[in-house]
Amino acid sequence: MIRLENVTKSYSTEVVALRDASFDIAKGEFVFLVGPSGSGKSTMLRLLNREERPERGAVWVAGRNIIDMPPSRVPHLRRNIGNIFQDYKLLSNKTVFENVAFAQEVIGKPKHVIRQQVPAVLDLVGLAGKEDRFPHQLSGGEQQRVSVARAFVNRPLILIADEPTGNLDPTTGEGIMRLLDRINKTGTTVVMATHDQRIVNTMRKRVIQLDRGVIVRDQARGVYE
Amino acid sequence: MFSRFTYTLRETFAGFKRNITLTAAAIITSAISLLIFGLTLLIQEGFDNLLQRWEGGVEMIVFVNAGTQPDGLEFIQSTLNEQVSVGTVASFEYCDVVCSLADADRVLAGDPTTRKLLNETNIPTLFKIVPAESTEVAFLRGLKESYQQLPSVHSVTLAEEQLDLISRLQGFVSTYTTGLWIALMLASGLLIWNTIRTAMFARRREIEVMKLVGATDWFIRIPFMLEGLIQGLLGAIGAVGIMQFVNWRWTQGVRDFPDSSGMTALVVVDGYQWTVAIYILLFGALVGMIGSGIAASRFLDV
Repeated sequence: MIRLENVTKSYSTEVVALRDASFDIAKGEFVFLVGPSGSGKSTMLRLLNREERPERGAVWVAGRNIIDMPPSRVPHLRRNIGNIFQDYKLLSNKTVFENVAFAQEVIGKPKHVIRQQVPAVLDLVGLAGKEDRFPHQLSGGEQQRVSVARAFVNRPLILIADEPTGNLDPTTGEGIMRLLDRINKTGTTVVMATHDQRIVNTMRKRVIQLDRGVIVRDQARGVYE
Repeated sequence: MFSRFTYTLRETFAGFKRNITLTAAAIITSAISLLIFGLTLLIQEGFDNLLQRWEGGVEMIVFVNAGTQPDGLEFIQSTLNEQVSVGTVASFEYCDVVCSLADADRVLAGDPTTRKLLNETNIPTLFKIVPAESTEVAFLRGLKESYQQLPSVHSVTLAEEQLDLISRLQGFVSTYTTGLWIALMLASGLLIWNTIRTAMFARRREIEVMKLVGATDWFIRIPFMLEGLIQGLLGAIGAVGIMQFVNWRWTQGVRDFPDSSGMTALVVVDGYQWTVAIYILLFGALVGMIGSGIAASRFLDV
């Protein structure tokens, strides 16, 4: 599903975010990216979205090298990738329903499909009955659930999560992880950057560890070290 | 398709509401600049109408009494031919009744009451005279005096009496109004550009989310471009309304000018103001769309 081949990305001559990184992620895998701040986790996620392009190497997503992809095709790539952020990135002037529906609306899904799929995904993330609330009327955990619903509503092949539990208390964070695990079990590949040692150690999924842009460990059913 | 269309319309009008003061400023500036653009075209058309009878190097017009018999016309023609043979007049042209009525249509366009009084039986016909290049103005003045004594001649007019002043006035007005509308058009384009930039900045989080969920750049751009286009069009509609009012008031006012002022022809004829109205609408829409399109493309990575 995802393959990085000798990828190097730098922001200046002094700052090398990723150095000669290579790995394969199969369809349906759940992978943690771990490492200290500035180790290159977020850069790696941005490369998968084609928000960044590397100086060297190849990034394969769903069978295509996205480095050579023309800009006009990038939106189509992104329709196969769901994104979850630490700060949720919800639209404060839209309700829960509208925030999730927005992801379908902007790619041209018909209204009747939106009316059918949005309640279903809100039910999946445990927000049934809160469709008309605005983000400021929700707790942090609930806001992150909206973010997960928005990322998953288009049934993407890959789900990218950048520190999704970073702003949440441990119990709420665990709830979000259970949700991501459920989504993963539907066949969606999940790649998650995190600092949360407890979550990584509890879930026992594959762990790719980065240190100053270099992959120093790639371990199946790994733990946070 | 329909949901995209409704989304585009909804976002366009949301943009209007969000930016109401900047939008109003952009529309007012567009309206003023397009109004000056339209008035410049109308003024130029009015001057062209005023000066049309002097086109082709004509510097003297001999008006012949209405109902003059052919032998009277031949006498004037032979007198003019004498000047051609000595080289003081390069050429002359006779404007018969039909031609003179058409000329009156233009000259008296602002004074329909007087025009109605003229018909085939009472309109003076005319000779348009093009002097040789070497002929001096003083000689033409002398010629005017002598032609006025000829039988059947109603009056003689020299171009210098009208043309110089009007030409200078036309040059002055055209230069300054053209400069003014270009500057104002640039200002309204920049204002629309800035309105769209502000709108995009206000919606930067939305745009970020849209891009991440796979919206195309055109999908994001179109509501902003539509917003700019509508701003330009609203300005243009305002400008057309004011221009038509000003033109109507001017045309009414010109009727009160004395015939001797020579200004009764300084009006727009043949519905030209409607052609200008179409130019204004097209130009307003174009400036709005280009200004917003550039801003939307430039600031898409907010």
